[in-house]
Amino acid sequence: MSKLFVLLIVSVMFFWSCNTGSEKQKVTESRVITFENTPASRPYSPAVEAGNMLFVSGQIALDLSTGKLIEGGFEEQARQTLSNLKTVIEKAGYKLEDVVRCTVLLTDINNYATMNRIYMEFFPSDPPARMAFAVRDLPMGALIEIDAIAVKK
Amino acid sequence: MKRIISAKNAPAAAGPYSHAVEAGGILFVSGQVALDPATGKLINGGIREQTEQVLRNIGAILEAAGYSYGDVVKSTVLLSDIEDFKTMNEIYSKFFPTEQPARVAYAVKDLPLGALIEIEVIAVKSK
Repeated sequence: MSKLFVLLIVSVMFFWSCNTGSEKQKVTESRVITFENTPASRPYSPAVEAGNMLFVSGQIALDLSTGKLIEGGFEEQARQTLSNLKTVIEKAGYKLEDVVRCTVLLTDINNYATMNRIYMEFFPSDPPARMAFAVRDLPMGALIEIDAIAVKK
Repeated sequence: MKRIISAKNAPAAAGPYSHAVEAGGILFVSGQVALDPATGKLINGGIREQTEQVLRNIGAILEAAGYSYGDVVKSTVLLSDIEDFKTMNEIYSKFFPTEQPARVAYAVKDLPLGALIEIEVIAVKSK
């Protein structure tokens, strides 16, 4: 009787391991998008691709050559942020038109209208779904941060 | 691959965003505030009324895309005051009574148009 019980347990474990094995094979391949000058001090990737979906990290108005926040006010920062977003997306082999969703974080909700105007320069038609709001603070004293999800055609 | 959803019964977007975008079998609904679909203006009322309106607007967008509340897998709830958390939950539960979506909720500094609450959802059609 106890032998039968052990056999049962073993076979259940065997089938369970087969199942998890096949599930693992189903897991989508993921790919981390990196830049040569990505500072090692930042514990996140500029973007990660899983299947045909690209998750782009929140971008701020960094000068990609110096890694420092650019000089200038909100308009300049908004344009630089969107330009950085475009750079990361294109580096991953996607286009801005592939973006399906964005999050826009502002430090001042009074910049909402200005942000919309500059945002439209980058997403002139069929714009992504979006969520926008003001937070208390952004990293490095940035005035705007934008993240995105893109799906390849 | 990318399908733009425009819902007749939801308020017009307050900025350059689509009501929702569907791609790869996933529906991304834009963050909604309590706009009256008829006037396009923020409704009168407190957190209770605004939460209800936001979730109704989301419902209209889900419906236009061929989805329902039951298909929502994840939501983000932004409040302008964390003290509204309990009341929001009360209303939210009416719209999502069972098998509730994964969720993140927090208070932000300010929401567009002086709204008290903004909610965005991601939906996947249940089989």
